[in-house]
Amino acid sequence: MYTFICEDSPNGIFSGVYDAWAFKIQQNKQMPDGGGQSGSRAAGQTRCTHDDIRLTSREPDNYELFSQYFPVTPSAEKSDKVARTLCARLGTEFYETVMNALLAVIPERKGEIDKADAIYHTVVLALSSPAGANTLHRLNHPHVHRVFTLSRATANEAHHLLGFLRFRELENGVLFSTIHPKNNALPILAEHFTDRLPQENFIIYDENRRQAAVHAAGKNFMLADASDLDEAMIKRESCREAEYQSLWLAFFENIAIRARVNPKLQAQNIPKRFWRDTIELSRTGGGHFPPSHAPLPPE
Amino acid sequence: MNIQMNMSLAEKLAILSDAAKYDVACTSSGVDRRGNGAGMGNSVAAGICHTFSADGRCVSLLKILFTNECIFNCAYCQNNCNSDVPRASFTPDEVCELTMEFYRRNYIEGLFLSSGIMVSPNYTMGLIYQTLYQLRRVHQFNGYIHVKAIPGADPVLVEKTGFLADRMSINLELPTAEGLKKLAPYKSRHTILKPMRQIQNRITENKNEVALYRKAPRFVPAGQSTQMIIGATPEHDYEIMRVAESLYQKFDLKRVFYSAFVNVNQDANLPVLPGGPPLLREHRLYQADWLLRYYDFTVDELLSEERPDFNIYLDPKCDWALRHLECFPIEINRADYRTLLRVPGIGAKSAQRIVKARRTAALGFSDLKKIGVVLKRALYFITCSGKMMYRTKLDEDYICRNLIGDRTQIPREIREAGYKQLSLFDIGMEP
Repeated sequence: MYTFICEDSPNGIFSGVYDAWAFKIQQNKQMPDGGGQSGSRAAGQTRCTHDDIRLTSREPDNYELFSQYFPVTPSAEKSDKVARTLCARLGTEFYETVMNALLAVIPERKGEIDKADAIYHTVVLALSSPAGANTLHRLNHPHVHRVFTLSRATANEAHHLLGFLRFRELENGVLFSTIHPKNNALPILAEHFTDRLPQENFIIYDENRRQAAVHAAGKNFMLADASDLDEAMIKRESCREAEYQSLWLAFFENIAIRARVNPKLQAQNIPKRFWRDTIELSRTGGGHFPPSHAPLPPE
Repeated sequence: MNIQMNMSLAEKLAILSDAAKYDVACTSSGVDRRGNGAGMGNSVAAGICHTFSADGRCVSLLKILFTNECIFNCAYCQNNCNSDVPRASFTPDEVCELTMEFYRRNYIEGLFLSSGIMVSPNYTMGLIYQTLYQLRRVHQFNGYIHVKAIPGADPVLVEKTGFLADRMSINLELPTAEGLKKLAPYKSRHTILKPMRQIQNRITENKNEVALYRKAPRFVPAGQSTQMIIGATPEHDYEIMRVAESLYQKFDLKRVFYSAFVNVNQDANLPVLPGGPPLLREHRLYQADWLLRYYDFTVDELLSEERPDFNIYLDPKCDWALRHLECFPIEINRADYRTLLRVPGIGAKSAQRIVKARRTAALGFSDLKKIGVVLKRALYFITCSGKMMYRTKLDEDYICRNLIGDRTQIPREIREAGYKQLSLFDIGMEP
C-alpha cells in the first residue's frame, strides 16, 4: 500500500492526484517485464494498481507497518494539469461536482472514506470507464457515493447562503457581508454575486477561514487573504443603512401570520447557525411577537 | 375607512406588508436569467429563499400590496371595503426604492406586487404597470418580479405588464363558482378565468416568437399561478383537486397554491375554526398536488365521489398504494421510472438516481438507503433482485398499522404547531 499525504485544499488534493498517478506509472515502468500479463509475473512483484494507492487529506494518526508514505507538496502546475484534464475529458459538470467535494468540510467519522481518497478513485474510475462523467451516477460505489455526499454538502450550504447572506452598506458605499459557513462556499457565492451585482463594489468575508471575496464594479472578483482586515472600517456604515435595516425588520415582522406561528418549522427551514449573520433573526430572535396592530387570531 | 395623510415609508410598509401576508405564493422559481453586466439582478431557476418568517414560511420576494384601499367587499379578505383597518398606498417611486435597496442588500429575490382595487381595476392595473416599467427601464432591475393581474382590467394593460414580469397570477380565491358568489359578490368566475386564458394564450404565442427570434421580449417566462382558499366553503378535497387538475391541464398553470383559511373578519358567512387554520388538510392537498405534477397521478386515482377527502393519517401516496396492493411488490432493478415513482418512500429524485445507478450494477437495500430511499416506508412494496428486505406480509391492515406507526406521516411542523386533536377539527369543517 502506498499512501499520499496531501494538504486539505483544492491545490493540495489535485497535486496528490497527479503525484499518485505518476507514481503508479513510474512503478510499473520499473517492472522487469514492463507490465506484461499477470501470468509472467515473478512472485512478490505484482503490478501496482490504483487499488494499491491511497490518498489522505490529513496527517494519519497511526502509521501502518507495511505501507509507504509520501508527503505531497502542493503545486499549482500539477493541479492545473489535473483540472484541465477533468474539464476536457469529463466535462465541466463533473469538474464542478469534484470541486464542490473538494471544498466540503465534514468532520471525519471512523470508517468513512477520506475526501482525497474518494476523489482520487472517482477520477480514476471515470477516466478509465466508458461511462465517463456518468460514473458519478454509480452511487452504489463507495468512493463515488462519498464524492456525492461531500459535493452535496457544499452545494446545499452554498444554496442556503445565496439567500441567507446579508450585505451592509459601508460609509464608502461598499457592500459588506460576513459569513460563517461550515464548508468553503465562498467561491460559489462570489461567482453568484458577481453575476447579480455587476455594478457594485462588494466584499464577502468568511470569518471562519479569514478569507474574503472582493469585487470591484465592472470587474471579476478576487479571493484574498483577509487576516489584516480593517475592523474599524467595516463598522462605519453609510447614513441610510440603519433606515433600510429597520424597514426590513418592519417587513419581516409584519409578513408572518399570527395564527400560524411555528418556531420549530422556522428553525427547521433556516438552521440556527445562520441566524447570527442575518439582521432580522439575530435582532428579533425569530420575530415570534407580531406587531400590535396585527389582527388577533380567532377566539 | 381610516385614511391617514403624510404617512412615513416605514408606516406604509408595515401596513401594506401586513395586508399582503395571506397571499401564499412567494416562490422565485421558474426562470434562469444571467445578469446583464449593467443593471442589477439575475434569476435562478430553482428559486432562492432569503429568510423564514415566524410562521415558518419562506420569504423570497418583497411581498406587498400597492394599496390596501379597496372598493370590493370579499368576505374572507381583511382589506375589504367594510373592514376597519388602517389604509395606505405606495407611490411607484417608493416601491422602486424599497425593491432596489432591499435587493442590493440581498434581503430579497425580487418583488411580489399585488394590490387592492383602488378607484377601478384599470386605474390600479395602470399604477402597477407604471411601477414595473420604472423598475425595469429606469432602475435597470433584472431580478424576479411576480405580479397580480387585476380581474376586470383592460387586456392591453395586462399584456403590457406581462412583458415586464416573470410570473403573473390571478387568484381563483374559492374552488367553486357558488362559493365565490356568496363570499365575493363583486368577483365572478368569468372575470377571473378570462384574463387567465388571455395570459395562457399570450405565453404560447410568445414561445413561438422566441423560437423564431431569439431576442424577442419574453412574456411571463416563469408562467402563471393561482391560489385557492381552503376551508372557508364546504367543498371536499375531491372537488378542490379536480379544479386544480383542470387548471393544470386546461390553463397550463405552473402552480396552484392552497391557503388554509384564517378567519380575519369574523364574518357571519364564514366558518369558525376552533382548531386554528386547517393546516393538515392544506398539507395533504399540497402532497396530492405534487403527485399530480411530478408523479403522474390523476385525481381520480387518489379520490372519488365515495371517498371525497384525503386520509388524515396517511399521505396520499401511501393511501393509494395500500388500496392497490395488487401492483406490488415491484422489482427495483427492473421497474420503469413511472412505476418507481408510485412506491411510497421513493421520491422523484431517488427514482432518477435508481434508474441511473442500476445501469452499472444490481442495487441492493443498502444501496437504496445511500440513494435516499425511505426504506421504512418502501420496504413493504419493493424487492431487490427478487428478495424483500424482511419477511413481511403483503396485507393491507398489517402494512397500514406499520405505516401509521411512523410519526413522519403527520409532519413535525403540524404535530408540534401547538394545537391538539387535529383529527377532530380537521374533519369537522362545517361552519
